[in-house]
Amino acid sequence: MATIERPLRGPLICAGIVVLSVAGTSPSATAETRGYVISMIHTATHANTDTCPAGGNGGPVDIRTRRLVDAGFDNDEALRIIGNGGVDDNGTRVDITKLYGSSAPAGGQPWNGQPVSPGNVPALLADPVVETAQGRFAYGFDLDGQVSPDDFEDPDSHELGVDNHMWRVLGCFDVYRIRRPVVPYNESIVWDTAIDSMPAWLMSVSGENLDRDGDVTVTFDRSFNVLLRDAYGGVMSGATFVIDPDPRSHNVFKGTIKNQVLTIEPGDFSLQGESQFYAVLRFSQTQLRLQMDPDGSLRGILGGYQPWRDYYHYLAIRGESDGQVDLPGVYYAMKRLADGGPDIMTGENTEISAAYWLEAVPAFHVTTSGEVTGKSVGNGPKFSGPAASRLTTP
Amino acid sequence: MTPHSINRDVRGTHTVAALCAYLVLGASVPNTTAQESALVRLTTAQYEHSVHDIFGKSIKIDGGIVDPGMRENGLLALGSRKLTLSAAALERYESLARQVATQVTDRRHRATLIPCKPQTETAPDPECASQFIDRAGLFLFRRPATNAEVQSYVSMAGSATETLGDFYDGLGAALVGMLVAPDFLFRVERTEPDPSQPDTQRLDAYSRASRLSFFLWNTTPDAELLAAAESGALDSDAGLQQQIDRLLSSRRSADGLRAFFSDMLGFDGFATLSVDASLYPKFTKNVADDAREQTLRTLVQHLLDKNADYRDLFVTRDTFLTPALAAVYGVPLPRSQELGGAVPWVPYRFPEGDPHVGLLTHVSFLSLHSHPGTTSPTLRGKAVRENILCQRVPPPPGDVDFSLVQDASDPAFRTVRQRLTEHRENPTCAACHRMTDPIGLTLEVFDTSGVYRTTENGAPIDTSGTFRRQPYADVVELVPILRNDPAVTSCLVNRAFSYGTARMPSTRELSWLFDTGAELMDTEVTWRDLMRRIARNEDFYTNVFD
Repeated sequence: MATIERPLRGPLICAGIVVLSVAGTSPSATAETRGYVISMIHTATHANTDTCPAGGNGGPVDIRTRRLVDAGFDNDEALRIIGNGGVDDNGTRVDITKLYGSSAPAGGQPWNGQPVSPGNVPALLADPVVETAQGRFAYGFDLDGQVSPDDFEDPDSHELGVDNHMWRVLGCFDVYRIRRPVVPYNESIVWDTAIDSMPAWLMSVSGENLDRDGDVTVTFDRSFNVLLRDAYGGVMSGATFVIDPDPRSHNVFKGTIKNQVLTIEPGDFSLQGESQFYAVLRFSQTQLRLQMDPDGSLRGILGGYQPWRDYYHYLAIRGESDGQVDLPGVYYAMKRLADGGPDIMTGENTEISAAYWLEAVPAFHVTTSGEVTGKSVGNGPKFSGPAASRLTTP
Repeated sequence: MTPHSINRDVRGTHTVAALCAYLVLGASVPNTTAQESALVRLTTAQYEHSVHDIFGKSIKIDGGIVDPGMRENGLLALGSRKLTLSAAALERYESLARQVATQVTDRRHRATLIPCKPQTETAPDPECASQFIDRAGLFLFRRPATNAEVQSYVSMAGSATETLGDFYDGLGAALVGMLVAPDFLFRVERTEPDPSQPDTQRLDAYSRASRLSFFLWNTTPDAELLAAAESGALDSDAGLQQQIDRLLSSRRSADGLRAFFSDMLGFDGFATLSVDASLYPKFTKNVADDAREQTLRTLVQHLLDKNADYRDLFVTRDTFLTPALAAVYGVPLPRSQELGGAVPWVPYRFPEGDPHVGLLTHVSFLSLHSHPGTTSPTLRGKAVRENILCQRVPPPPGDVDFSLVQDASDPAFRTVRQRLTEHRENPTCAACHRMTDPIGLTLEVFDTSGVYRTTENGAPIDTSGTFRRQPYADVVELVPILRNDPAVTSCLVNRAFSYGTARMPSTRELSWLFDTGAELMDTEVTWRDLMRRIARNEDFYTNVFD
């Protein structure tokens, strides 16, 4: 990455006075291109009372207790061990953390003669068969074009036939058994810490008149620059971002605006990231449904078929302490519920239907040569960005 | 025992007591041939610059020094002549003095800052101590230390060394004494009979050097300037001119320019600036810092680098921006900022048609002269009248009912223009508001944080007005009218003189200052020319009070 950035950054160190005009600088013949920067993205959750009829998978204490019971302790003893900081009634240390992160390999299981964390090699353990989410609602899209009893209904658009098996896998862990504005803890923390160092993800919408219904072009790119924070630790609107020309993160979709809702025709999507949770975000048959708000911001759902091992890998890196899920349970459930991207050789599905909540705020886009290709329109929302910041605002 | 405790035990109390006596009772420092005529307290920046210039920039000065001072007639510099030094400020000065002295005498710095080595590090060495104190005294007191002063501090160093068993700790104790001495904390301006007019007093050569140096560089005189004072060169026109030219041609004159305009524009207000983040989330602490720096950079570039006309600062579209400031101004700014690197400052020119033109549309001005949660046409207009035009706007009477002005929820008065129009119906308020409001109402297109807007509570903002009987439609039309107002130049001239002398000009001086302004307006109002004219005038080196 550095080899791409360095030669391109040189010209940006402006020696002279910058005089930029935002009028008539669109890359194509379209009348207007609005620039955005993604201010928040996380797994879209919509928990209801009918989501987990068996009571759910609980949180970290429940997961640890079940694992100790599986290891031969009774439930009360398991709770005492957890309460005593990992020491049993005989004063013997019981390693209850061996799945809680890749940083504890010494406590892991032997594999090829070496101790490893089963979080990174989850098939070392048997499938604990975690509870999966049920119910009527889940965010997302009808990706396969079929409405089946196994599908959900989107709670906002009320689209039927929503495919979101990622939600089935995750929705009964306490940390995901939530709904907006609460954000999954793990992803909230990662995003909040990543955005100060991770190249921002950009989005643009081009069309004849973006205030009216019509066809548009939607792009996603990565920037050389990081997000700017506002006074609340959220994301500042109206900042300028230089587009990284790396084709690996360049995505173009045909889109439509209808009643200020932006959608796209399905296609492949890929953005290179630089964070623990989003080393890369990629989907096939990607769909988008974003509300274009009067303040100039976008908010809504991005979804598609996501390589399930991508997501599992991000959870495994964070470990069970941060992720607050049963890693082997998630692994087996994802493998079992994967519903897209069949492997040509084995027929195994490598992708899982998923949906993410996405927010984007107005931003200027410029090329490495300084040409303005996306205009920041609107003052942006009062608050947008990491939920930890948003939830502390008055 | 640590150096801190020795300072307290050996001489801490009597130093503070001496300082208090000096300030309160007017007690005299050791005899000089000159008479003391005035004390001017160093500003925070002057204190820091002095320490760094004397001992090097590696000497850390942590935290604020003292209160910013008292603003009088538009300038903190005028208030600095008032002897307001609280007990808390004295303690702070002493704490800072220990901090500085500890560093100067530590193992890292002593080899370069102390010109000799003691015969033994565990016993007093009056000869070595004397060398250091003599040299440090020249720069700290901005004049040669008298023999009595040197002997006093050498004795202090010796006593402390015997108590502590360490020569450098003892020397540090003496240095603390020098750093809290009135001769360092204050510019002690001494006068002497003027040879050309024996019945009048003028500043002595070292006081002239100090006044010149703080005026043009905002710091203590350097070795060359002190040498010019010692040789008598500063008493001659040629010698004085040479030093003025030297100081003005130095890059350090930017420090002097920054200090003057920080005072004139009231930038001390940034220390207490409060902008409601829930209403203006873009206004971060970084934005506030950048806003201040943006204006100062613009001033330095315009007045020093371009040697351009001061008046054009009110109509220039050239400035500097950071990524965060660009977001506030709503303009694109390509940037290349490495993580953890310095804030990138990018030269920027607002395009024609953009409402941002000149200093009055800088975030610094707009945010400093607003309320935390709403704009204030009155405050902004008052700032233009007082800070830029040197006019005086009286404070409001104590019994004014502000409820109508402050109630933004009344649908009948959605804009502040509508509310203030009603407010001006009160004849008690009308006179002042007629002065302040037209300019401030034109600036209503910028909210408290400086973000451009066209409506207030859904109603369009009317930016039209009249200034000096000249109608204008908006801020872009207002600023050229302001730029050409003679008061803009005369205000700068008077403020510069008052800032440099820390006093108001006398009636006679006002006359030549007026002429100076008029001459400059006929050509160009350039910074160096103005500084040169003031610094060459003998009145600049007097303390005449009407």
